[in-house]
Amino acid sequence: MRRPFDLRGFGAVLYKELIHVVHDPTTLVLALALPLLQLLIFGYAINTRVEHIGTAYLDEDHGQIAVRVLDALRASQDFNLVYAAGSREQLHELIVADKVKIAIDVPPNFSADVIAGRPAQLQVLIDGSDSSIADVALASASSIGAALSAQLDPRMSVVPQLIDVRPRTLFNPSLRSANFLVPGLIGVIMQIITIFLTALAIVGERERGTLDQLLVTPIGSTGLMLGKIVPYAAIGFVDFLGVFAAMLFIFKVPIAGSALLLLVLAIGFLLAALGLGLLVSSVARSQLQAMLMTMGIMLPSILLSGFFFERDAMPWIMQLLGYAIPLTYFLEILRGIILRGAGLAELWPSVTAMLSLGLFLVIVASVRFARTTS
Amino acid sequence: MSVTIETKALTKRYGDRAVVNALDLRIESGSIFGFLGPNGSGKSTTIKMLCGLVSPTSGSASVDGHDVVRDGDGVRLAIGYMSQSFSLYGDLTVDQNLEFYGRAYALDPASRERRKREMAELTGVERFADQQARTLSGGWKQRLALASALLHDPQVLFLDEPTAGIDPVARRDLWDLLFKLAGDGRTLFVTTHSMDEAERCTRVGYIYDGDLIAQGTLEELRSLPGVNAPGTVRYFVRADRVMTAFARARSLPYVRDVTIFGRDLHLVVSSDVDPKRLESDLAEAHVSIVERIEPSLEDVFVALTRARTDVA
Repeated sequence: MRRPFDLRGFGAVLYKELIHVVHDPTTLVLALALPLLQLLIFGYAINTRVEHIGTAYLDEDHGQIAVRVLDALRASQDFNLVYAAGSREQLHELIVADKVKIAIDVPPNFSADVIAGRPAQLQVLIDGSDSSIADVALASASSIGAALSAQLDPRMSVVPQLIDVRPRTLFNPSLRSANFLVPGLIGVIMQIITIFLTALAIVGERERGTLDQLLVTPIGSTGLMLGKIVPYAAIGFVDFLGVFAAMLFIFKVPIAGSALLLLVLAIGFLLAALGLGLLVSSVARSQLQAMLMTMGIMLPSILLSGFFFERDAMPWIMQLLGYAIPLTYFLEILRGIILRGAGLAELWPSVTAMLSLGLFLVIVASVRFARTTS
Repeated sequence: MSVTIETKALTKRYGDRAVVNALDLRIESGSIFGFLGPNGSGKSTTIKMLCGLVSPTSGSASVDGHDVVRDGDGVRLAIGYMSQSFSLYGDLTVDQNLEFYGRAYALDPASRERRKREMAELTGVERFADQQARTLSGGWKQRLALASALLHDPQVLFLDEPTAGIDPVARRDLWDLLFKLAGDGRTLFVTTHSMDEAERCTRVGYIYDGDLIAQGTLEELRSLPGVNAPGTVRYFVRADRVMTAFARARSLPYVRDVTIFGRDLHLVVSSDVDPKRLESDLAEAHVSIVERIEPSLEDVFVALTRARTDVA
């Protein structure tokens, strides 16, 4: 029986793996170039349509017209009024903390102005991180304003309207979908590459019949695993730097927060993704099985992590499943740092969850591996 | 003589099936033990249990004084293992493969260099040092595998069909090397299909469907009661028309068993029958030689396997 967490042989395996990598330049080039290529393809291609956008409002007017405006918002498919704020500061905080995407402010004397026939302003704050949400919110809020204006005073022509919707877009004022999608793509692509590389590394050894020869040596199970994954973790990190640079210089997505913090947390994410890959390789008996299992992890990761669809709009069971996926947390971190300028103070729940999940996966894989190789 | 490998009721089950069933072995230090049996009879599983790659379902085994279940590390340091198929890294050079195994056994740089040089010289692979292992021929690959398995100077070597798929000259050279290693006091455990290889071993064990049917020296096996049924003797028969001789011999009431070896037959015949009568009964097959013989190892295993399948 082999002991888990036995680090012996790490250097020997690392030595051998590095030679494998050097001796197979095609794979190395593919592993480094594919992520960039995928980013370019998907970054330009993806677009999405959203409904039920989480919305907060502040009613400083308390008049009858304010009630009609809020009712119209509630009736719309596009908005989901989830928070009633008590102050403008709170309204703003709800957006920065990513509790809502839209914040609507009905100013004092709104009803009085409308009733008196004076144009009144309706403030709409939009989180522009996700350009598709922002587009929908903008169009929908404007049309609600126009419709209400027409009902209240049919004589008023289209411009100027009684209810003047004043949208203000935060975080991504130019409303580019690249700004929202590209940071997410970084996470998705890194996960694909690292899981595949690690899942295949150990299974390949099993399939070629070289694993038994390794296991009659005093190499420890953890030493073997780490020696095999460190080169791939390094490749994964170079991939990250590549797509990150492409995001900054090709898609021109500015980074609002700390790039250094992002780099450090990317290493944490790699740990978690490698853990998943190791888990696959400790279960799979052949490379084909490993590929299928990896696919089985990838698709739900992309769908449930919030990369395509708002997690808030999913059934609770799907949201729960999403918590078991490291990508979910890394997406929150990526978007938080790049788009909203969030720091550890805001992101610590995601950071803690991602690192704990990563550590858990590596430990489970290590124990499983020690067991299956005895 | 001290005992290097010992198993007591060693058993491996997968579900209901006993792949290796209550195996009792005692293998003396410095000997070559030949482990024979048909494919799927449990040879490789036995080796894997002794190397600590597969854990036994029940029973116990010790190798060089180390219990295979409780002291896996002790076993790993004491043994060298050469698996059935080439199990080194084809894209690494000969020298890099040796370097890797030297590091895997945590040899310090100085002794690593020394052992690499010594083992490369012993096996003759030093002239391919910078060649990728996959470009070597089958025989040289096996020699490289042997060199890797010997780097940490193990006292026990497990060789799972070391000569499978290599040409006869390379096979003979490899066996010369194995004798040399045994001569140095190492214990070798070799599985093989080939009877002439088995006959070169100090002792032989025969496993069939998970059961060890027989073990001992060649002499001991030849005199087993199951091999020579009471009241029978063996004859060697050379005939020009071997198939005719085979068919005819099988129809004779006093012939118990017939096996073909190329142009020759081995017959098991009632001991009260005169060889002249046998010769005349087989005349139509143009018999040239009829001669009384001792059973070969193959005869032994054919007899033991038949006895076994007849019971079942």
